[in-house]
Amino acid sequence: MAFKEKRRIAVTGIGLVTPVGNSTEETWAALRAGKSGADQIASFDASGFSTTIGAEVKNFDREEAVPDKKLLKYASRSHAFALAAAAEALADAGVAPTPEDSHRWGLTVGAGMMSVAYDDLKVIHDYATDENGYFDADGMLKPDFPGNPVNFCRWQSNAGLGLLAKQFGIRGYATSVHTACASGGQAIGSALKAMRRGQCDRMLAGGFDSMLNPIGISGFCLLGALSTDNDNPEGASRPFDKSRNGFVLGEGAGFLVLEDWEKAKERGANIYAELAGDGNSLSAYRITDSPPDGNGPIQAIQQALGDAGVTVDEIDYINAHGTSTQMNDRSECAAMKAVFPDRIHDSIRVSSTKSCMGHLIAAAGAVEAAVCCLSIRDSIAPLNANHAETDPDCDVNLVLGEAKPGRIRAALSNSLGFGGSNSSLVFRNPEEVSV
Amino acid sequence: MKNASEKIVFTGSGIVCGAGAQVNDIWDVLESGETAVGPYSQWDGENWPVKVAAEVKENNRTLVPDRKLHKTISRTDMFGIYAAEQAIENSGVLAHRDGLDEAEQDGYNDRTGLVVGSGGGNYTSNYDYLPLITEAKGELHEFGKELSNQVTPMWLLKNLPNNVLCHVGIRGQLKGTNACITNQCASGIMAVAESASAIWNGEADRIVAAGHDAPFEPEMVYYYHKLGLMSGEAPKPFDKERSGTVFGEGAAAVVLEREEEAKARGAEILGEFLGFGCCTEATGILDLSPDGNGVQRAIEQALDDAELSPSDIGMICAHGNGTPASDLTESIGIREVFGEGIPPVTGFKWAYGHLIGASGIADLVMTLEALKREVLPGIGTLNEVDPDMGDFPVARTAVKPTSRNALVICRGFGGMNVVVVVRV
Repeated sequence: MAFKEKRRIAVTGIGLVTPVGNSTEETWAALRAGKSGADQIASFDASGFSTTIGAEVKNFDREEAVPDKKLLKYASRSHAFALAAAAEALADAGVAPTPEDSHRWGLTVGAGMMSVAYDDLKVIHDYATDENGYFDADGMLKPDFPGNPVNFCRWQSNAGLGLLAKQFGIRGYATSVHTACASGGQAIGSALKAMRRGQCDRMLAGGFDSMLNPIGISGFCLLGALSTDNDNPEGASRPFDKSRNGFVLGEGAGFLVLEDWEKAKERGANIYAELAGDGNSLSAYRITDSPPDGNGPIQAIQQALGDAGVTVDEIDYINAHGTSTQMNDRSECAAMKAVFPDRIHDSIRVSSTKSCMGHLIAAAGAVEAAVCCLSIRDSIAPLNANHAETDPDCDVNLVLGEAKPGRIRAALSNSLGFGGSNSSLVFRNPEEVSV
Repeated sequence: MKNASEKIVFTGSGIVCGAGAQVNDIWDVLESGETAVGPYSQWDGENWPVKVAAEVKENNRTLVPDRKLHKTISRTDMFGIYAAEQAIENSGVLAHRDGLDEAEQDGYNDRTGLVVGSGGGNYTSNYDYLPLITEAKGELHEFGKELSNQVTPMWLLKNLPNNVLCHVGIRGQLKGTNACITNQCASGIMAVAESASAIWNGEADRIVAAGHDAPFEPEMVYYYHKLGLMSGEAPKPFDKERSGTVFGEGAAAVVLEREEEAKARGAEILGEFLGFGCCTEATGILDLSPDGNGVQRAIEQALDDAELSPSDIGMICAHGNGTPASDLTESIGIREVFGEGIPPVTGFKWAYGHLIGASGIADLVMTLEALKREVLPGIGTLNEVDPDMGDFPVARTAVKPTSRNALVICRGFGGMNVVVVVRV
């Protein structure tokens, strides 16, 4: 296993499909303006659920986004987001796999939970349950049981990976990870490592998810994790605010094109940022609870800084995980304060863009990594929207009122997942790279 | 750069599958030539076209004694926790930690990683919603209203794909680098490969790698059968008459660490990780490249990574899932690399079925045992090797590996091919 000495990796393409826009620039403009993507859920009748609001992707035309009809047939809603975002990222990078180099292209994805569409479950219900609704396997053997193998393929854990590889002809290293809300960040971290060890020269890395369906939202409603501010959808996600009461479920996809720095330079590519470091830890505390003292997230942030060779004085922006749940926000703030004690209160700009987009679960880390790259490009930190009164435990330098301009030397993206996985990524301004 | 002096070794393993819950018991099944595939008990298969599987027979509480824990985990998680904790215990890494000063223990935990390959979920867990659909008479409004009266608040937590990562981490206080890989069949073996890479990269000093899956359930059987992937009897990998695969279930795990550290604490060394290859054929979800190019490239990458040539390999543990297309293309890919010098080939799915997400790592654990015993078990269900595979050296009876180096091949949906090289 030949490891290159910290090979430098460039971000040269970005693609986004989010609740605030179906492209990178649309999303980015909305985030700078603090525009919310949350509303009453429109894609199904959510009126009976304890939470009726969500941040849905809007006006997304599957057929237009994924021209390959055969492929689209196998694509779930989140796969279609992924195919669209990945296509935008590759077009933005101006490079794509060719038959000659496709084996040197890799693919890592943070994929959503393998869940089942309500309609598919309804089919099982209608054919294979007894009068009380308990499953009876033999019902599936009825001659008219409409079970469709295409639907089955769609729900396989690496179906999205398979579709993306086929669509773009990627034939090298490929993997799919799921560490709940940390998935997207871990996918990009995994890509960084695969590139550093020389397995790929270019990679497509990102995440996709859509749990805004009856079964997906049920799990979170049961846990009581979602905001129930049903009469105030746009203001429901308010990370670090004293009155926050849960997260707003979002959906979408984000992809980055990662490239060997030299190869990107050679072809004159536009470089958004250097993907400089990855940190990764397990809180090993509780399943959904976050460690109040930040033990776990602290190690991930420190590792990412160390890996990047970036000091605590060089981080100018943190895109926080900031879910808008009390425990997560406090734990993350404790970690940020522990790592950046001198600068977190007044000089590092901090925002959670979940305040606008909601929580994209397995896609969150990837989309937020892209936000860090765009912040570096435009020297501006996007807004932490919906803020009235700061939780005293979250007294960090939040970007309030409007997006805060100012050069960003390096940015940090945190993703903290259910199950205790913590992922931190560091992006460096390309002007700060001395080769 | 890979430091040639920095060897990565396996110091503990754990496994549970239909053939047993200890390496020795499973070995006995492999050597006996008698498959553990048989009639199943999880539902009544009388009317089903597939009436066999390799079910885990151990009692839930035998595998995971903690009664409370069972409320927050699913069947597949139970296998994963069992195998991971068996590997941890056999390796002695946490016993070693517990002998350290308290201050040193924190540092040790931060440098101990956990990488899990997970099946990613299952269908039956969603059936918890079926009575609610009945109650709601199919109306979503009622479904939402009655939700909390019908379904356990723990539902999501019970079904998180990364549950094994979470629980083994909490129970063992493993706090270092981690990942949960949901790459269908490739999940478990990728956990091993990523663990070795992470240690080489300095991200951790030791990592527990586990893979678990419980694919055997009605909907899976139904669709695999409908897709023509399922046999009605124990699979016959590479046989002229092979007709498909059969599900097993279970988990396997290994502890990887630097040889230097393993030796310093006097650990028993089970084998060495030499390298891996991983690629996709870019053929979509189910399709396979007819020329076996993914298998070929993954083997070539793995040999390159291990700095070995084909002639150094003394045995191959093939994916051999028993489906016509996969076995044939696998044999083609192997031949492309080895030409006329193919080492002895075997595979274990005939004995304990296809563990899907856990299959590659289970095969790896048993391959280490085969190398240790210098015995390559035969394929007990084999009658006649498919003549389309040419002179393909797969045997019904045991042979001796021709060297201490083995390849483990794992293939999966998404055109995935992963190959790991190990030495004992």
